[in-house]
Amino acid sequence: MMALPPLRQSAAPSLRMTIRSIGIAGLGLMAVVVSLTDVIARVPAGTDHVGPPLTPPSALFQFGTDLFGRDIASETLHALAVTVDTASLAMLVTILAGGFAGFVAARLPWGLGFLLRWIVGVLTALPPLFLAILCIGLSNRGLAPLYAGLAASPLAFVRAFDRARALGTSPHADYARATGVSAMTLLRRDLTYELREGILAVAARALAAVTIILSTVSFFGFGSAPPNRDLGLMIASARETYIGAWWTAAFPIVALALLILFARLAAGLEEGERP
Amino acid sequence: MSEPLLSVKELTIRREGSARPELDRFSLAIERSETVIMLGEADAGKDALMRVLAGAPLEGEAVSGAVQFGIGLAMSADQLSPAPVRLAYLPGPAMRPLSAHASAASQLARVVARRTHVPRASAHAELGLVLQRLKGAPALGALETSPAALAPDVMAWGLLAAAFAATPELLLVDHLLVGLPPTSARALARALVAEQERQRFAILYNAMSTEVARWLGGRLIVMRHGRIVEEGPVARLATAQAHAYTQTLLKPVTPLAGNPISPRSVRGQAVVQALGISLKSRDKLTFELRRGGSLALIGELESGRHALARQLIGLERIQTGRVVFDAVDIGVLSETMMSRLRRRVAVIAGADDVLDPRLTVSDTVSEPLRASLDLPRRLVAGYRDAALKRVGLSSLDNDLTVAALSAFDRRRLQVARAIVSAPVFALIDEPLRGLDAFAQSVMRDLLRSFRAEEEAAFLVITSDMTVAQALAENAMIFKDGHVIERGPLADILRAPREAYTRSLIEAASPAL
Repeated sequence: MMALPPLRQSAAPSLRMTIRSIGIAGLGLMAVVVSLTDVIARVPAGTDHVGPPLTPPSALFQFGTDLFGRDIASETLHALAVTVDTASLAMLVTILAGGFAGFVAARLPWGLGFLLRWIVGVLTALPPLFLAILCIGLSNRGLAPLYAGLAASPLAFVRAFDRARALGTSPHADYARATGVSAMTLLRRDLTYELREGILAVAARALAAVTIILSTVSFFGFGSAPPNRDLGLMIASARETYIGAWWTAAFPIVALALLILFARLAAGLEEGERP
Repeated sequence: MSEPLLSVKELTIRREGSARPELDRFSLAIERSETVIMLGEADAGKDALMRVLAGAPLEGEAVSGAVQFGIGLAMSADQLSPAPVRLAYLPGPAMRPLSAHASAASQLARVVARRTHVPRASAHAELGLVLQRLKGAPALGALETSPAALAPDVMAWGLLAAAFAATPELLLVDHLLVGLPPTSARALARALVAEQERQRFAILYNAMSTEVARWLGGRLIVMRHGRIVEEGPVARLATAQAHAYTQTLLKPVTPLAGNPISPRSVRGQAVVQALGISLKSRDKLTFELRRGGSLALIGELESGRHALARQLIGLERIQTGRVVFDAVDIGVLSETMMSRLRRRVAVIAGADDVLDPRLTVSDTVSEPLRASLDLPRRLVAGYRDAALKRVGLSSLDNDLTVAALSAFDRRRLQVARAIVSAPVFALIDEPLRGLDAFAQSVMRDLLRSFRAEEEAAFLVITSDMTVAQALAENAMIFKDGHVIERGPLADILRAPREAYTRSLIEAASPAL
């Protein structure tokens, strides 16, 4: 018998880490683009007659123009900025009213948490989009980000509640209680680590959900109003022209799809790495 | 001279990014019907060897060397084809080898069917016959449930029967008895020896504790850092070791006949008084545990020991009777007040998941101080570092998370946490469970020193008489929710009244 050289080589780099990086990098790139919108965009939002109506993509108008001669590239950038701004606000509402509230509710005494979980569980049976349209229709469209955030909250609440319950009944929580660590300290500890390790996942997941809700609401005419058009409204306004002038709808759709895709990539991967 | 059944030559296993190989130019030959026990710490390289021989090396492990089974051709160790000898791999229940989504019996029958090339129904019947043959084994019906619902010893019997049903020539046994109650472990070891005599197979046993070597006999290979430290017959190495490391591993545990703990003064304040509290049965228990005193709750799984301990520290509602903890009747306390009272309780448990895996080493040890006292950071760091030094973890990076630590380090971290909390009551729950021989030896000494230096009342939950003997003077023997015997441990060891107590004492003796 003779010793043979090693043939087995190192494992491939983690696919998960790669995809996660793509998601985060994509969101980062979008954040940079949004913050530089006023610099990059050729004209302010809603400026018409910049060029001839329905000009196809060309060297002068890279994304073409729409029916009113508006530059699609500038309009898409402004709409992306509006979408990201409103979605960020809605995301914060989802994190607070869903994730945070669910986590705290799981530790409430006397079964109050379970009662809340049950009520919110019933709400999860309703489609978030329906909830958002209902709330906006009953109040006003200026509160669309708030209602979109609230509409996405039930699922986040349930997820956070279940996670907090699992942590609260884990062997290490039992051990901590046995050695005199108070319920409040345990809650603080869990929240700290969840924020540190899971906030990106929660935020990205919420961002994807509320972006879909807000864009759809705007598409149906319940959300943003001109001149602050978001991507949903921009796609809706291209309904009459996209058959003959595809570029009027294609670029806002691509921007919206990329935003949701990057958010989902970042969210899904963080989820898998949670302890 | 006949060919050895298994011959391993210059086997080296190296994990990607690791400075030192898991196994370093390891050579081994096993004859037919021979028993070879590999003993060492968790990183000794035994696990890597078993993985390679079982044909399942980890991703990223570079393997070189040669392996030859019987008179077959020598094979490159990184490309093992099916062995020309009948080889069976026998994992322990702690490794959770079966899926939770089908009954244990059906999964084991499938394994037997695949190995022996018979229909599933025949394999199922064969499994039942083997279980009938094994003394002390449960019936096949006990395995007709999800592995998640099975007691570890029942699962171990099933795995053992499946391995025997394959009529192996070589049995690779991987931590079979880890975490099992001593009486069950002993019965399984007996069955293994009896079946080896019957089938004449060779055994390569990856062991964590020295008991296995003493029970099975044969040849002992002591390993450390991927290399063989010492090798020889168990009978010789058990009494005369050439290497200091082997001496540490095989350090004799105090014989059960004597009582090594000198009686201590237990006139201190009563820390815990149990007044007529009941267990699963209707037995009423009354006892007290004073500062400096100790009590071992000895028994096996589900015998009522944990329920009693949880009632004593207010983690479970007391059904009847009262518990007075540190002069306070805990029955009248709110959860917040009870939590404050428990700040002087230390718990050292033999489970690896009791420490929060997200916490750092520093936070884990400092938490009891920060949670209950408003001490300056400098002082907290001082207590923390002193405790880590006492348990031999001072060289550990304080920012490492618990998840990155070995089982042995986690166990010592629990002791460090217990030290900083200056407890009045220490609950020690199967402290050596799942540790290798070296770690057991260190932990035993560490707990003895902890007990000697802290004036806490010690409540020891164990199924191992040697652990009880090392840490406690008094004992209660539990069986099926009843206390069947109680009194000074020395008296119980000298003259046990109950047959069950005698079986527990026998289980801790070195002879099978």
